[in-house]
Amino acid sequence: MSFEQILSEVLKTLNIEFIALIGIGTFIGLIVGALPGLTTTMGIALLTGITFKFSGHSAIALLMGLYVGGVSGGSLSAILIGIPGTPANASSTLDGFPLAMRGQGAQAIFIARAASVIGTVFGIFCLAFFTPILTNLALKFTSSEFCLLGLFGVLISGTLTGADLPMKGWIAGIFGLAIGMIGMDELTAWHRLTFGSPQLIGGVPFIPIMIGFFGIPQVIESLMSEQDVLVAVLDKTRIKLAEIFRHWWVAIRAGLVGVGIGIIPGVGEDVASWVSYGVAKKASKHPEEYGKGSLEGLIAAETADNSCIGGAIIPLLSLGIPGSPPAAVLLGAFLIHGVRPGPMLSFEFPAFTYQAVSWLLVATLFMFVLSVLIARPMQKILQIKNAILMPIVAVLCAIGSFSLDLRFIDIVLVFLAGLIGLVFRKGKYPPAPLVLGIILGPLVDTNFRRALKASNGDFSIFLTRPVALALLISIILLILGQLGVFSAIRSKLKRNKQVDALGTNSSKE
Amino acid sequence: MDESTKRLRSLDFFMGTSFALIGLYVVFEGYTTFVSPALVTVEKSVNPGVTMLFIGGFLALLGVVLALIGMRGSGNPFLKATEVIPETIRKKSFMRGLLAMACIGVYFFVFWDRIPYVLSTFVFLAGMMLLFKGGAWWKIFLVSGVTVAIIWYVFGVLAMIPLP
Repeated sequence: MSFEQILSEVLKTLNIEFIALIGIGTFIGLIVGALPGLTTTMGIALLTGITFKFSGHSAIALLMGLYVGGVSGGSLSAILIGIPGTPANASSTLDGFPLAMRGQGAQAIFIARAASVIGTVFGIFCLAFFTPILTNLALKFTSSEFCLLGLFGVLISGTLTGADLPMKGWIAGIFGLAIGMIGMDELTAWHRLTFGSPQLIGGVPFIPIMIGFFGIPQVIESLMSEQDVLVAVLDKTRIKLAEIFRHWWVAIRAGLVGVGIGIIPGVGEDVASWVSYGVAKKASKHPEEYGKGSLEGLIAAETADNSCIGGAIIPLLSLGIPGSPPAAVLLGAFLIHGVRPGPMLSFEFPAFTYQAVSWLLVATLFMFVLSVLIARPMQKILQIKNAILMPIVAVLCAIGSFSLDLRFIDIVLVFLAGLIGLVFRKGKYPPAPLVLGIILGPLVDTNFRRALKASNGDFSIFLTRPVALALLISIILLILGQLGVFSAIRSKLKRNKQVDALGTNSSKE
Repeated sequence: MDESTKRLRSLDFFMGTSFALIGLYVVFEGYTTFVSPALVTVEKSVNPGVTMLFIGGFLALLGVVLALIGMRGSGNPFLKATEVIPETIRKKSFMRGLLAMACIGVYFFVFWDRIPYVLSTFVFLAGMMLLFKGGAWWKIFLVSGVTVAIIWYVFGVLAMIPLP
């Protein structure tokens, strides 16, 4: 496709209707992100139900706007009330809230927004640059590579997000893969794990599961506490834009960290912002200021979580493997609207990557303007009691999932997924690997068997192709590393060395 | 090891056991599929039971390892559970959570499809807000009414979704 053709396709989806939808999506995202308890992932899942009747591309543009708005909106509540609106903004709370309490709330919000813009734009440019490269590489992949890539994605996501024990992340991911296998098998039309229910033959619907898994536990946990929030009052001091330029290197480094973590399947914005915050603190000349209202810390966190958006969409568009939980739900929405991400996307919709880039850029512009405009009204909105907000969320969870297929079973699944989500939270199991597992279940399963069929049942197919072999070695090293095999070997070698040294000394004596 | 970690490990033991059982069930289903006479014409490598055997086996293995970690970390997981469960049930926050879950359950399983959507949603919203002390009754009724109207308009009119 020539440059002119791509440009004309991009311009077709940048008319007033699309721009208005992106603006609405970004605005909803900012509100959803800012309200503690409503996450970007949940927002995308809920809005997918409403956009069901929209034309494919316009619905996706709206949801991408929500993604950008949601990730950025969380910092508003992080700064104003010290409670992150989404997990992605948890690290912004550390410096944002002290700044607001010190009377520099307006400055903190402005700096956070500027950092978000830098991060998002950086991520978008990486998306535009790396997606075609990765797509071309992915076109050379066969079933064995796709199967191992899916498995690697689930395991690395489990390792990086399993805060208590990496094993819990793996269990969540493998459990997700098992859920993803429910329904009619793609290759033989055999019904698996359906418990005899004809309604499960089509598989487990992804969006209701996500709505239940993220929405219901949040409703219940929010209603469990009776805490009131303390809202910081925004000052009217002059905003110093120069501050962001003074810390340009922090922003660039955070952008790189965000994109890098975004590309890793199923890890996402929250990990990106924490890693970036840690890296910035380590490299800073004033690490003692971190956690007490450091602008550097705020810039590092906000730039990374926003640049992660572009990073997470790179593997989504090129491989069909989402880089973050919101991107995973976005993948579900893509499929509902007839867009199948992966290497074949460049043939089916050759300009789609660039259309997505243009939508994200428009959303970034909206995000900056709207978030500065709504900062003061948000002070009032954030005072809404959980007892008012959460029942509304529960109603939206029900109607959002019902609206997709008009089936009562989806309501039942929302409730069941909610219970599983609650148990996962209590047991400290990360949600991201489960989400990734459910969405990658069919990909891992069908490609595993296709690879075996191509090799007449010979497992050596996973060892004879270089990329597959590299992935397999990575998986084995990942598991062995987390089980402490390497550290055990290292300490044994160290002990042997010490014993040898002692032996040599005594023989000398 | 502190008390909260011991309690978490006790939960890990029970959850690890549950995951091991789920994994074993998947393995069992995979095996029945693998040897099913209905799939005798299908090549063994493409048999839908193959992946189930691997995934189920892996889940069962991880579940067993987690249960062992839980057993070692908690001392006696059963004893810990007998301490934790009555303590949790006595907490006010637990009762509030249970009440919230019950309200949602009633709305999903009793109201849905039996009472007209607009009415059932209004009753659910107003009832839950009153139960959890959302504010003055007139404010609650106003918020519930406006919310129901917006949902009805957005889903029922704009998105043309037949509401239950």
